[in-house]
Amino acid sequence: MNILTACKAIQEARGPAILIATMGAMVAFDKLDAGQPRLNSVPLMGGSASLGMGLALAHPDRTVIVVDGDASLLMQLGALVTVAGKSPRNFHHFLINNGTQFSGLSNLSLPGRQIDYCALAAAAGYPITHRIQDEENLTMRIRDILSSDGPSFIELTIEPDPPIFGADSPQQDWSDHQFTRMGDEARQLAVLLANGGAA
Amino acid sequence: MLKNKFNIPASAYISALQRNSVDYVVTVPDWVQLAFHCQLEAGVEGIELVQCCNEDQAVCVAAGLRIGGKNPVLIVQNQGIYGCVNSIRALGLDAQQPLVFMVGQFGREFANFGKSPSLSRRNTVRYLEPVLDALDVRHWRLEEESDLPKIDQAFSYAQRTSRPAALIVGAPTGWL
Repeated sequence: MNILTACKAIQEARGPAILIATMGAMVAFDKLDAGQPRLNSVPLMGGSASLGMGLALAHPDRTVIVVDGDASLLMQLGALVTVAGKSPRNFHHFLINNGTQFSGLSNLSLPGRQIDYCALAAAAGYPITHRIQDEENLTMRIRDILSSDGPSFIELTIEPDPPIFGADSPQQDWSDHQFTRMGDEARQLAVLLANGGAA
Repeated sequence: MLKNKFNIPASAYISALQRNSVDYVVTVPDWVQLAFHCQLEAGVEGIELVQCCNEDQAVCVAAGLRIGGKNPVLIVQNQGIYGCVNSIRALGLDAQQPLVFMVGQFGREFANFGKSPSLSRRNTVRYLEPVLDALDVRHWRLEEESDLPKIDQAFSYAQRTSRPAALIVGAPTGWL
Protein backbone atom coordinates (compact mmCIF):
# COMPACT_ATOMS: atom_id res chain seq x y z
CA MET A 1 0.00 0.00 0.00
CA ASN A 2 1.23 3.52 -0.65
CA ILE A 3 0.69 6.56 1.52
CA LEU A 4 -2.18 7.89 -0.57
CA THR A 5 -4.18 4.66 -0.49
CA ALA A 6 -3.58 4.34 3.26
CA CYS A 7 -4.69 7.89 3.95
CA LYS A 8 -7.69 7.42 1.65
CA ALA A 9 -8.82 4.45 3.76
CA ILE A 10 -8.42 6.54 6.93
CA GLN A 11 -10.24 9.50 5.43
CA GLU A 12 -13.14 7.31 4.27
CA ALA A 13 -13.54 5.80 7.73
CA ARG A 14 -12.80 8.98 9.65
CA GLY A 15 -16.29 10.45 9.98
CA PRO A 16 -16.26 13.50 12.28
CA ALA A 17 -12.99 12.55 13.99
CA ILE A 18 -10.34 15.22 14.55
CA LEU A 19 -7.44 14.46 12.21
CA ILE A 20 -3.85 15.37 13.11
CA ALA A 21 -1.26 14.64 10.42
CA THR A 22 2.30 15.51 9.60
CA MET A 23 4.77 15.32 6.73
CA GLY A 24 3.85 12.89 3.93
CA ALA A 25 0.45 12.11 5.42
CA MET A 26 -0.36 15.81 5.43
CA VAL A 27 0.37 15.99 1.70
CA ALA A 28 -1.73 12.90 1.06
CA PHE A 29 -4.69 14.25 3.04
CA ASP A 30 -4.37 17.52 1.10
CA LYS A 31 -4.72 15.55 -2.13
CA LEU A 32 -7.80 13.90 -0.66
CA ASP A 33 -9.30 17.29 0.29
CA ALA A 34 -9.57 16.26 3.93
CA GLY A 35 -11.11 19.18 5.77
CA GLN A 36 -11.84 20.32 9.30
CA PRO A 37 -11.73 19.20 12.03
CA ARG A 38 -8.09 18.93 11.04
CA LEU A 39 -4.68 20.20 12.17
CA ASN A 40 -1.25 19.53 10.74
CA SER A 41 1.98 19.51 12.71
CA VAL A 42 3.92 21.61 10.22
CA PRO A 43 6.67 22.54 10.02
CA LEU A 44 7.14 20.56 13.18
CA MET A 45 8.25 16.95 12.88
CA GLY A 46 7.44 14.88 15.93
CA GLY A 47 4.63 17.02 17.28
CA SER A 48 1.53 15.24 16.03
CA ALA A 49 1.03 12.65 18.79
CA SER A 50 1.35 15.16 21.62
CA LEU A 51 -0.83 17.71 19.84
CA GLY A 52 -3.42 15.01 19.31
CA MET A 53 -3.25 13.98 22.93
CA GLY A 54 -3.92 17.52 24.10
CA LEU A 55 -6.98 17.63 21.87
CA ALA A 56 -8.09 14.18 23.01
CA LEU A 57 -7.91 15.27 26.66
CA ALA A 58 -9.75 18.49 25.94
CA HIS A 59 -12.51 16.66 24.05
CA PRO A 60 -12.90 13.17 25.44
CA ASP A 61 -16.19 12.86 23.60
CA ARG A 62 -14.54 13.11 20.18
CA THR A 63 -12.36 10.63 18.35
CA VAL A 64 -8.85 11.89 17.59
CA ILE A 65 -6.86 10.28 14.76
CA VAL A 66 -3.13 10.99 14.56
CA VAL A 67 -1.29 10.01 11.38
CA ASP A 68 2.38 10.13 12.23
CA GLY A 69 5.51 9.41 10.22
CA ASP A 70 8.23 7.00 11.20
CA ALA A 71 11.01 9.62 11.08
CA SER A 72 8.75 12.03 12.96
CA LEU A 73 7.95 9.53 15.69
CA LEU A 74 11.63 8.69 16.07
CA MET A 75 12.27 12.37 16.87
CA GLN A 76 9.84 12.20 19.79
CA LEU A 77 9.76 8.53 20.71
CA GLY A 78 9.07 9.52 24.30
CA ALA A 79 5.70 10.82 23.11
CA LEU A 80 4.55 7.19 23.18
CA VAL A 81 5.11 7.24 26.94
CA THR A 82 3.53 10.68 27.32
CA VAL A 83 0.39 9.45 25.51
CA ALA A 84 0.25 6.14 27.36
CA GLY A 85 0.63 7.98 30.65
CA LYS A 86 -2.78 9.57 30.18
CA SER A 87 -4.20 6.80 27.95
CA PRO A 88 -6.99 8.78 26.30
CA ARG A 89 -9.59 6.26 25.15
CA ASN A 90 -10.54 8.43 22.17
CA PHE A 91 -7.02 8.46 20.71
CA HIS A 92 -5.86 6.41 17.71
CA HIS A 93 -2.27 6.74 16.56
CA PHE A 94 -1.48 5.60 13.01
CA LEU A 95 2.12 5.35 11.87
CA ILE A 96 3.25 5.60 8.26
CA ASN A 97 6.17 3.20 8.22
CA ASN A 98 7.85 3.69 4.87
CA GLY A 99 11.38 3.33 6.21
CA THR A 100 12.52 6.62 4.72
CA GLN A 101 12.74 10.29 5.54
CA PHE A 102 12.01 13.02 3.01
CA SER A 103 9.96 10.21 1.56
CA GLY A 104 8.83 10.78 -2.00
CA LEU A 105 11.33 13.62 -2.24
CA SER A 106 14.78 12.10 -1.79
CA ASN A 107 14.03 8.92 0.20
CA LEU A 108 16.88 9.18 2.66
CA SER A 109 17.46 6.28 5.00
CA LEU A 110 16.39 6.31 8.64
CA PRO A 111 18.55 5.74 11.67
CA GLY A 112 17.97 2.19 12.84
CA ARG A 113 16.88 -0.88 10.95
CA GLN A 114 13.94 -3.25 11.37
CA ILE A 115 12.41 -1.13 14.11
CA ASP A 116 9.45 -2.86 15.74
CA TYR A 117 7.20 0.13 16.31
CA CYS A 118 4.29 -1.92 17.66
CA ALA A 119 6.61 -3.39 20.27
CA LEU A 120 7.81 0.11 21.17
CA ALA A 121 4.22 1.33 21.55
CA ALA A 122 3.24 -1.69 23.61
CA ALA A 123 6.31 -1.33 25.81
CA ALA A 124 5.44 2.34 26.32
CA GLY A 125 2.00 1.34 27.55
CA TYR A 126 -0.36 1.44 24.56
CA PRO A 127 -2.89 -1.29 25.34
CA ILE A 128 -3.75 -1.97 21.69
CA THR A 129 -1.39 -2.30 18.74
CA HIS A 130 -1.94 -3.46 15.18
CA ARG A 131 0.38 -3.90 12.24
CA ILE A 132 -1.41 -3.68 8.90
CA GLN A 133 0.47 -4.41 5.72
CA ASP A 134 -2.00 -3.99 2.91
CA GLU A 135 -4.86 -1.80 1.83
CA GLU A 136 -7.44 -4.58 1.89
CA ASN A 137 -6.79 -5.34 5.55
CA LEU A 138 -6.73 -1.68 6.46
CA THR A 139 -10.07 -1.06 4.78
CA MET A 140 -11.54 -4.15 6.42
CA ARG A 141 -10.35 -3.35 9.95
CA ILE A 142 -10.23 0.40 10.30
CA ARG A 143 -13.83 0.99 11.31
CA ASP A 144 -13.57 -1.56 14.09
CA ILE A 145 -10.36 0.04 15.28
CA LEU A 146 -11.83 3.53 15.32
CA SER A 147 -15.00 2.44 17.08
CA SER A 148 -13.05 0.64 19.81
CA ASP A 149 -11.52 2.23 22.89
CA GLY A 150 -7.94 3.42 22.60
CA PRO A 151 -5.34 4.47 22.88
CA SER A 152 -4.46 2.31 19.93
CA PHE A 153 -1.34 2.28 17.81
CA ILE A 154 -1.63 1.14 14.20
CA GLU A 155 1.54 0.65 12.21
CA LEU A 156 0.95 0.77 8.46
CA THR A 157 3.54 -0.81 6.20
CA ILE A 158 3.88 1.64 3.33
CA GLU A 159 5.77 1.38 0.06
CA PRO A 160 7.65 4.68 -0.33
CA ASP A 161 6.80 6.79 -3.33
CA PRO A 162 9.69 7.25 -5.77
CA PRO A 163 11.84 10.34 -5.15
CA ILE A 164 11.10 13.41 -7.23
CA PHE A 165 14.18 15.54 -6.52
CA GLY A 166 17.35 15.34 -8.58
CA ALA A 167 19.62 17.34 -10.84
CA ASP A 168 16.82 17.82 -13.36
CA SER A 169 14.19 18.58 -10.74
CA PRO A 170 15.74 20.40 -7.79
CA GLN A 171 13.86 21.84 -4.82
CA GLN A 172 11.62 24.86 -5.38
CA ASP A 173 10.85 27.62 -2.92
CA TRP A 174 8.23 26.94 -0.26
CA SER A 175 5.03 28.90 -0.21
CA ASP A 176 4.26 30.93 2.91
CA HIS A 177 1.28 28.63 3.42
CA GLN A 178 3.62 25.93 4.73
CA PHE A 179 4.56 28.24 7.60
CA THR A 180 1.18 29.77 8.34
CA ARG A 181 -1.22 26.88 7.85
CA MET A 182 -0.82 25.36 11.31
CA GLY A 183 -1.92 28.61 12.91
CA ASP A 184 -4.78 29.03 10.45
CA GLU A 185 -5.93 25.46 11.02
CA ALA A 186 -5.58 25.83 14.80
CA ARG A 187 -7.82 28.88 14.81
CA GLN A 188 -10.42 27.19 12.57
CA LEU A 189 -10.35 24.06 14.70
CA ALA A 190 -10.63 26.02 17.94
CA VAL A 191 -13.73 27.85 16.66
CA LEU A 192 -15.28 24.66 15.38
CA LEU A 193 -14.71 22.83 18.67
CA ALA A 194 -15.95 25.76 20.72
CA ASN A 195 -19.14 25.72 18.70
CA GLY A 196 -19.46 21.95 18.91
CA GLY A 197 -19.40 21.69 15.13
CA ALA A 198 -18.95 18.59 12.96
CA ALA A 199 -19.25 16.31 15.97
CA MET B 1 15.04 24.50 55.67
CA LEU B 2 15.67 27.45 53.41
CA LYS B 3 13.03 30.05 54.07
CA ASN B 4 13.36 33.66 53.08
CA LYS B 5 11.55 36.29 51.11
CA PHE B 6 12.67 34.76 47.83
CA ASN B 7 10.84 31.48 48.44
CA ILE B 8 7.35 32.27 47.21
CA PRO B 9 5.05 29.64 48.78
CA ALA B 10 3.79 26.94 46.45
CA SER B 11 0.31 27.55 47.83
CA ALA B 12 0.49 31.12 46.57
CA TYR B 13 1.33 29.83 43.09
CA ILE B 14 -1.60 27.41 43.26
CA SER B 15 -3.91 30.27 44.21
CA ALA B 16 -2.60 32.30 41.28
CA LEU B 17 -3.29 29.45 38.87
CA GLN B 18 -6.79 29.01 40.21
CA ARG B 19 -7.39 32.74 40.02
CA ASN B 20 -6.45 32.56 36.34
CA SER B 21 -8.76 29.58 35.67
CA VAL B 22 -5.94 27.19 34.85
CA ASP B 23 -7.35 23.69 34.36
CA TYR B 24 -4.26 21.76 33.22
CA VAL B 25 -0.64 21.80 34.30
CA VAL B 26 1.57 20.32 31.59
CA THR B 27 5.03 19.67 32.85
CA VAL B 28 8.49 18.25 32.81
CA PRO B 29 9.45 18.68 36.47
CA ASP B 30 11.77 21.39 37.63
CA TRP B 31 14.05 21.34 40.70
CA VAL B 32 13.26 24.96 41.51
CA GLN B 33 9.52 24.28 41.61
CA LEU B 34 9.61 21.00 43.52
CA ALA B 35 7.32 22.20 46.32
CA PHE B 36 4.87 23.37 43.68
CA HIS B 37 5.06 20.00 41.91
CA CYS B 38 4.46 18.13 45.13
CA GLN B 39 1.29 20.07 45.86
CA LEU B 40 0.08 19.53 42.30
CA GLU B 41 0.83 15.81 42.45
CA ALA B 42 -1.08 15.57 45.70
CA GLY B 43 -4.07 16.88 43.79
CA VAL B 44 -5.54 20.33 43.37
CA GLU B 45 -9.24 20.81 42.78
CA GLY B 46 -9.91 21.73 39.17
CA ILE B 47 -6.35 21.22 37.91
CA GLU B 48 -5.30 18.09 36.03
CA LEU B 49 -1.63 17.20 35.75
CA VAL B 50 -0.09 16.00 32.48
CA GLN B 51 3.47 14.75 32.76
CA CYS B 52 5.53 14.71 29.59
CA CYS B 53 8.84 13.09 28.73
CA ASN B 54 10.32 16.31 27.40
CA GLU B 55 9.44 19.93 26.85
CA ASP B 56 8.73 19.55 23.11
CA GLN B 57 5.94 17.18 24.02
CA ALA B 58 4.77 19.50 26.77
CA VAL B 59 4.47 22.42 24.34
CA CYS B 60 2.51 20.26 21.88
CA VAL B 61 0.18 18.84 24.53
CA ALA B 62 -0.47 22.31 25.91
CA ALA B 63 -1.16 23.65 22.42
CA GLY B 64 -3.61 20.82 21.78
CA LEU B 65 -5.36 21.63 25.03
CA ARG B 66 -5.51 25.33 24.13
CA ILE B 67 -6.94 24.63 20.69
CA GLY B 68 -9.46 22.37 22.42
CA GLY B 69 -10.60 25.25 24.62
CA LYS B 70 -8.69 24.50 27.82
CA ASN B 71 -6.41 26.81 29.77
CA PRO B 72 -3.11 25.06 30.50
CA VAL B 73 0.10 26.33 32.04
CA LEU B 74 3.49 24.79 31.34
CA ILE B 75 5.89 24.20 34.22
CA VAL B 76 9.45 23.57 33.09
CA GLN B 77 12.97 24.71 33.89
CA ASN B 78 15.42 26.87 32.01
CA GLN B 79 17.13 23.86 30.43
CA GLY B 80 13.74 22.77 29.13
CA ILE B 81 13.24 26.08 27.35
CA TYR B 82 16.59 25.60 25.63
CA GLY B 83 15.45 22.13 24.60
CA CYS B 84 12.12 23.11 23.04
CA VAL B 85 12.92 26.28 21.15
CA ASN B 86 11.64 24.84 17.86
CA SER B 87 8.31 23.81 19.38
CA ILE B 88 7.88 27.29 20.87
CA ARG B 89 8.69 28.73 17.44
CA ALA B 90 6.18 26.45 15.70
CA LEU B 91 3.24 26.50 18.09
CA GLY B 92 3.73 29.56 20.25
CA LEU B 93 4.93 31.96 17.58
CA ASP B 94 4.00 30.68 14.10
CA ALA B 95 0.68 29.17 15.20
CA GLN B 96 0.10 31.99 17.71
CA GLN B 97 -0.94 29.88 20.68
CA PRO B 98 -1.04 31.79 23.97
CA LEU B 99 1.08 29.36 25.96
CA VAL B 100 2.07 30.48 29.45
CA PHE B 101 5.28 29.01 30.88
CA MET B 102 6.53 28.96 34.45
CA VAL B 103 10.26 28.52 34.10
CA GLY B 104 12.49 27.66 37.03
CA GLN B 105 15.95 29.24 37.10
CA PHE B 106 17.74 25.96 37.79
CA GLY B 107 21.33 26.45 38.84
CA ARG B 108 20.96 30.03 40.01
CA GLU B 109 23.36 30.82 42.82
CA PHE B 110 21.52 31.62 46.03
CA ALA B 111 23.80 34.63 46.31
CA ASN B 112 22.24 35.88 43.09
CA PHE B 113 18.72 36.04 44.56
CA GLY B 114 17.51 39.60 44.41
CA LYS B 115 20.07 40.49 41.77
CA SER B 116 19.97 40.33 38.00
CA PRO B 117 20.32 36.80 36.58
CA SER B 118 22.64 38.38 34.03
CA LEU B 119 25.21 38.49 36.85
CA SER B 120 25.07 34.71 37.36
CA ARG B 121 28.27 32.77 36.72
CA ARG B 122 26.27 30.00 35.10
CA ASN B 123 25.22 29.90 31.45
CA THR B 124 22.04 27.97 32.17
CA VAL B 125 20.86 30.91 34.30
CA ARG B 126 22.35 33.79 32.39
CA TYR B 127 21.11 32.79 28.95
CA LEU B 128 17.43 32.32 29.79
CA GLU B 129 16.27 35.90 29.40
CA PRO B 130 18.40 36.58 26.29
CA VAL B 131 17.02 33.41 24.67
CA LEU B 132 13.45 34.46 25.45
CA ASP B 133 14.25 37.93 24.12
CA ALA B 134 15.67 36.42 20.93
CA LEU B 135 12.41 34.52 20.48
CA ASP B 136 10.45 37.67 21.26
CA VAL B 137 8.76 35.89 24.14
CA ARG B 138 7.80 38.39 26.82
CA HIS B 139 8.85 37.41 30.33
CA TRP B 140 8.39 38.45 33.94
CA ARG B 141 10.57 37.67 36.96
CA LEU B 142 8.94 36.14 40.02
CA GLU B 143 11.35 36.99 42.82
CA GLU B 144 9.15 37.77 45.83
CA GLU B 145 5.49 37.42 46.77
CA SER B 146 4.85 40.98 45.68
CA ASP B 147 5.58 39.75 42.13
CA LEU B 148 2.63 37.34 42.10
CA PRO B 149 0.34 39.76 40.21
CA LYS B 150 2.74 39.31 37.28
CA ILE B 151 1.19 35.87 36.84
CA ASP B 152 -2.15 37.54 36.12
CA GLN B 153 -0.39 39.95 33.77
CA ALA B 154 1.22 37.09 31.86
CA PHE B 155 -2.05 35.21 31.36
CA SER B 156 -3.78 38.40 30.30
CA TYR B 157 -0.98 39.29 27.90
CA ALA B 158 -0.88 35.83 26.32
CA GLN B 159 -4.62 35.74 25.81
CA ARG B 160 -4.79 39.29 24.49
CA THR B 161 -1.91 38.97 22.05
CA SER B 162 -2.07 35.24 21.16
CA ARG B 163 1.60 34.94 22.04
CA PRO B 164 3.56 32.86 24.53
CA ALA B 165 4.50 34.35 27.89
CA ALA B 166 7.15 33.22 30.37
CA LEU B 167 7.14 33.65 34.14
CA ILE B 168 10.63 33.12 35.50
CA VAL B 169 10.63 31.48 38.92
CA GLY B 170 13.83 32.77 40.43
CA ALA B 171 14.16 30.77 43.65
CA PRO B 172 12.89 27.46 45.04
CA THR B 173 9.17 27.61 45.68
CA GLY B 174 8.36 27.55 49.38
CA TRP B 175 7.04 24.38 51.03
CA LEU B 176 3.91 26.05 52.36
